[in-house]
Amino acid sequence: MKRTTLTAVALLLAALVGGAGLAQAQAPIEDELVLQTPVSKFIVDAALKAFAQYAKEKWNVNLKTNALYAGTPVSYGRIVEWKGKPEVDIFWGGESALFDKLAEQKLLVKVEISKAAWDAIPASIGKPKPVPLKDPNGFWVGTALEPYGLVYHPRVLKRLGVAELKDWEDVLNPKLKGNVAQCAPTRSSSSHATYEVILQEKGDAKGWEWLQRLAANSGIFTARSRDVPSVVAKGEFAVGFAVPSYMAFEEKLAGFDIKFVAPKNAFVTPEPMGILAGAKHPKAARAFVEFLLTEQGQRVFMERGLFPITPKYKVQGPPGSTAELAVEFTGGVRSYFDAPVSNIYDDDIAQKRYKEVNEQYRKDIEAVLDDLKKKY
Amino acid sequence: MTPPDGRATVLVAPRPWAKALPALGVALIWAFLIVFLVYPLLRLFYDAFTDDAGRFTLLNFYEFFTDRFYLRSLWNSILLGVGTVVATSVLGVAIAFLLVRYDFWGRSVFSYLTLIPIISPPLVGVLGFTFIMGRAGTINVFLMDYLDMLTPINFVYGIHGVLLVETLHLFPMITLNVVDALGKVDPSLEEAAESVGARAWRKTWTITLPLTTPGYMAGALLVFIWTFADFATPLILGVHDLLASQAYLNVVQFVDRRLFRMGIVISALMVILAVLFLIAAKQYVAIKDYSSLAYSKVERRRLSPVKQILVVAALSFVMLLSFIPYIGVTLAAFGKGWSLTLVPLQYTLQYFERVIVETPKYILNSFLYSGIAVGLCILVGVPIAWMLARTRLPGNGALDALNTLILAIPGTAVGIAYIRAFHVEIPGLGVALTSVWIIMPLVLAVRRLPYTVRGSYASLLLVHTSMEEAAANVGATGFQTFRDITLPLIWKGVLVGGLFSFMTSLQEASATLFLSLGGWEMMTVGIFNFYIAGSANEAAALGFILIVVAALSLIVINRVAGTRMGGMFG
Repeated sequence: MKRTTLTAVALLLAALVGGAGLAQAQAPIEDELVLQTPVSKFIVDAALKAFAQYAKEKWNVNLKTNALYAGTPVSYGRIVEWKGKPEVDIFWGGESALFDKLAEQKLLVKVEISKAAWDAIPASIGKPKPVPLKDPNGFWVGTALEPYGLVYHPRVLKRLGVAELKDWEDVLNPKLKGNVAQCAPTRSSSSHATYEVILQEKGDAKGWEWLQRLAANSGIFTARSRDVPSVVAKGEFAVGFAVPSYMAFEEKLAGFDIKFVAPKNAFVTPEPMGILAGAKHPKAARAFVEFLLTEQGQRVFMERGLFPITPKYKVQGPPGSTAELAVEFTGGVRSYFDAPVSNIYDDDIAQKRYKEVNEQYRKDIEAVLDDLKKKY
Repeated sequence: MTPPDGRATVLVAPRPWAKALPALGVALIWAFLIVFLVYPLLRLFYDAFTDDAGRFTLLNFYEFFTDRFYLRSLWNSILLGVGTVVATSVLGVAIAFLLVRYDFWGRSVFSYLTLIPIISPPLVGVLGFTFIMGRAGTINVFLMDYLDMLTPINFVYGIHGVLLVETLHLFPMITLNVVDALGKVDPSLEEAAESVGARAWRKTWTITLPLTTPGYMAGALLVFIWTFADFATPLILGVHDLLASQAYLNVVQFVDRRLFRMGIVISALMVILAVLFLIAAKQYVAIKDYSSLAYSKVERRRLSPVKQILVVAALSFVMLLSFIPYIGVTLAAFGKGWSLTLVPLQYTLQYFERVIVETPKYILNSFLYSGIAVGLCILVGVPIAWMLARTRLPGNGALDALNTLILAIPGTAVGIAYIRAFHVEIPGLGVALTSVWIIMPLVLAVRRLPYTVRGSYASLLLVHTSMEEAAANVGATGFQTFRDITLPLIWKGVLVGGLFSFMTSLQEASATLFLSLGGWEMMTVGIFNFYIAGSANEAAALGFILIVVAALSLIVINRVAGTRMGGMFG
């Protein structure tokens, strides 16, 4: 009787001391992590799963993860509505300008990851207009490089007698009339950027005419940008405009015949990530950001049609691996730092006239769509 | 005056209590409706009629009515609604007549099968439709690969596609109501018409059809409102210039506060229009109401063999068309990488594994929330039915109107109204109702309440009050009477209403979409999430499960209720 009590007390003490020791030595994280994100489930689920496994191995923490999925505007809107008492810990994806806006409203805290991880990420990519990959003030950091381009269904193209696409101009081919899918810039902030690329590249007058021709060639305006690669993969439409590489690759992995091309000056986003002020699990959030920038974390992206955010890593794997399939799918690119990236997209211009462009798109294209189809 | 001995007090004491209790019950029911229905709607209207600073303004509506695109959306919505009503009426009335008046091979099977299109799951139903009828769907693949057609026929993309999908989905609403109404037509009236020499068509036109008007109008109104409020179907078919689509698309634009407010304004406008249509329909029925009360046995005419074959062939064709969504959903739920072939070439169970094994929350939440919702529906709905059927309480008219109003309010508007109304901290608790999961069953209960009320009300009307009076005469209290006499007689109606509330709760995909937070996802929300995330197959797998559950519920409802289901919608 006495011995059992003693043993129990000893065990209890040992557990307490051990537990405290562990806690001090390894700075454990909270056992929960929640994201708010417009990034697709395909990427987010994989990243969270890999991180949960990592947390289990490193800290023996059984991490509960969850993600609230919503388009960029809704995600952003929710964070603003939460007014500093967020239901989630991390905001991931969308335009870096929105992160700057959140930081201004004091709704973000600094990311504060290790200096080595931070410094491994170049400040920007692309010429003549550099795309920032991290916030000089430290409120957000890029996680992966994601180009937006065109997708197409090779068999449908063949049937229509159209060659495989290479350039933006190819989508205006009259043979593709009624066979192009797009999501209007008024409906998707991620596609919006590609419409801006066209406007900024061609200048206002020519740019708008180009977008009108594109609309006239379209067979469907989808409600969401994610639907564009879906309807092309299925073969419902031949070509999709303004699609990120990973969404198309997801369809490829699901067994569909679909191809991706990023023409010159294609929009590239670093998929920014920031930690919310007032987050309930700040340590887990910080650990997640750090994890994504490790090789293990970057591999999650590299195996899903995205590119590493740092020149340290390249997309590669054994022959037949998904990483190699991704390289083939995106036209042989292994890293965006290997060759000069051409970028003319100016986010400041885009953000400043965001509403005006949408308003004009509504007036000059959506409202008169039937007339445009007759005209072009 | 109090008697000195205790026993007398015992006899007297329960009386104030017994009087207070019903009053408390009535108060609670009104409180429920005011807090969870009236208040959110008022909040929606408040938002629609104020500017950012909270000042009264009509500018929002001015903006709507001076915008070409919005006006076109309004016009298209009304046209589409009317078009769908006309199309469903032709189909629905014809089928109802066949089912009620004639006897032919497989009649009872068809009377069950004609219910099935109603349970088409949200979003994936349309998706299933495009898998079969789309540009790369089975039909077009067949035409192009086997019949050398050059370009695909566009069956679905555009407003004509929306009309087609809605018609095939909603015609049972008309059929159910007309079947119900036809059952109430006194054959002696038709005999009278015949005796003065009216021929078949004239008799139908002047006697039978007018007599079914109230039932028909109820069905037609529901078809109209449903089409009017549906945003998922048009969006998948690439149609944006409709009110429901605009309300949805604008409300999800949080960044642009102006668009967000226009979303609220459009939602409020949809509520106003729905109420106007409701009043118009009621007026029309009130003028035309000359139905008799009794259900009467209708003799079915046996059709000649040739006519039987024609009827069965025609019905089978309609059924085949309206089952297209189910075929498409099923193929997509099991098939992998299906593109440009008649049917998928590879089959897998991986999508079911993902939605059942990996994330059973969709199914668990659906059953939990719908279960709680039905509990609430019964708790609130049966007393409402009883108040309407058995009492002349002040406010009964308003109660009836509110109950009908719920059917007419688009779910999108309810969802948006809830977000606006309940995003404030509850005093003393420190949380807003929108961050507690109970809001999900609550909104479901409110939206599906009418079915329980109608089911119970219809049964109560059939229980003669003399039975209850007899019980009261032998000393039973109101509650005892209800428990021992009324309840055993009306349980069928309550059950049918409850099941209908349950089934339609499982299918709800408008209000809950706006309110769902991480971890609360129901099957329908899962369908949207998977679809939005680009996994149409997982969405289809969830849709398939939803179809199976709903079909089973329908079998039970059909068994218990027989052909009386029409009353549920009326």
